[in-house]
Amino acid sequence: MIRLENVNKTFRGRDGTAVEALRDISLDIAAGEFVAIVGASGCGKSTLLRLVAGLVPTSSGQVMLDNAPVTEPRTDTAMVFQAATLLPWADVLRNVTFPMRLMHRHDTKTDDKARALLATAGLSGFETKLPRELSGGMQQRVAICRALLQEPRVLLMDEPFGALDALTREEMSLELLRLWSTRQMAVIFVTHSISEAILLADRVVVMSPRPGRIADIIPVGLPRPRAFEQEGTEEFQRCAARIRALIFRGRQADAA
Amino acid sequence: MQPDRKARLLASLPAWGATIALLLIWEISVHVFQIREFILPAPSAIWEACVSVWPNLLRHSLATLGTVLMGFSASVIISLPLAMLIASSPAISAAIYPLLVITQSIPKVALAPILIVALGANEMPRIIVTFLVAFFPLVVSSVAGLLAVPPELIELGRACRAGRFQELLRIRLPFAVPFVFGGLKVAAALSVVGAVVAEFVGADAGLGYLIQTSMAFFRTPLAFGAVVVLALMGIALFQAVTLAERLLFPWSSSVEGTTKAAS
Repeated sequence: MIRLENVNKTFRGRDGTAVEALRDISLDIAAGEFVAIVGASGCGKSTLLRLVAGLVPTSSGQVMLDNAPVTEPRTDTAMVFQAATLLPWADVLRNVTFPMRLMHRHDTKTDDKARALLATAGLSGFETKLPRELSGGMQQRVAICRALLQEPRVLLMDEPFGALDALTREEMSLELLRLWSTRQMAVIFVTHSISEAILLADRVVVMSPRPGRIADIIPVGLPRPRAFEQEGTEEFQRCAARIRALIFRGRQADAA
Repeated sequence: MQPDRKARLLASLPAWGATIALLLIWEISVHVFQIREFILPAPSAIWEACVSVWPNLLRHSLATLGTVLMGFSASVIISLPLAMLIASSPAISAAIYPLLVITQSIPKVALAPILIVALGANEMPRIIVTFLVAFFPLVVSSVAGLLAVPPELIELGRACRAGRFQELLRIRLPFAVPFVFGGLKVAAALSVVGAVVAEFVGADAGLGYLIQTSMAFFRTPLAFGAVVVLALMGIALFQAVTLAERLLFPWSSSVEGTTKAAS
């Protein structure tokens, strides 16, 4: 469904120097597939996400969605950022429905759908709270509900659990899988955590930095539904070792 | 609510105590050291002077209040669109900001007599001087607020295909509210300063005018009284802005950091 063909992205710095963020990225993602992207800082993971979102244009190559080139943001893709980035002046319900209002897709059923969604995320009774009255994990749950309410076919997540503590993070991962499993929705999930990537994804794209390239793509052969107990399995360890080797190899080459 | 109010009252006790103590020390010192009235009048003398001419004092106070409110309103009406314009593009910002800084580097006292000759001896030059003194911090903090929106929020808007107008109306403006109110509080206090500066230079009524004429005849207690009224006016205006913020944007007054950063 999503197809990146020989995508290059070069940014022009303020002093006029060109910074090559991504080089020759080719990647196919099927409808409903969960893909994680891992790699060191500065390997262009976030840029890749923004290319798919249509927020930044490619320098060369193409991003295709359903065989149409992505040139601007689409209504069927939604994004979740590392910070919850909720509107401080709006209560939880209005935050969740905010994109629908912006896109003029807000109708009489939207609020009910939002309430139902909040309930599945364990946020019943918080509809009229302001963001600052919620914990970090709850705020990020609201942000995820905000993205899901758009019923996206592609969900782009940029280190969504990066700002949360380890325990909340694990809890949120499983919750995300539960929400994803009931929807026909492709997910591209950028993370720094190798174990998070393996636990969540069908395939893990490992990237190497400067310029950002795909080092390898690791299919994860763990059955679903996923659980933390799988961390002890041979397959999990095999994937983790392989990803680590790829990232570490890159670092050694960097140091040399 | 009730225990909260009681706690607030308790918290304000030291401030009241200190004020009363200061007034007492002042009163006693004036009597003990026999300071002459035209140099430093006792609080009781100030009070008496004010009460004896209160219709007069009220008339001058209302004249100043009028100038203050007109100048303050002009600042609000002009600053907010100006801030939006500046925030909308770096080119416009680069063009306008130096002009604003120039208006701020000119001493308003120097400008006032020129304006009075140019515009005539009416309310207009006083309102303009008040506006010139008050509007700058409001513009600066409003621009800061409009530009302080987290980039992710702007990206969210763009990802939802919001145009520039929607982005301004639904993301940037609400986000700037605490900053705007930070600027409004400063502008409220400065409006009083501006109005008095203008009245010093050219006016036939107002507290600034009253202070000048009183001092010409060494009626120091009345001049002190006018200063007290000015202070009260500034405090009242500041509190009115704070109250408006709390009533209209309850979420804003408790957004931490932003108002402090803006003011």
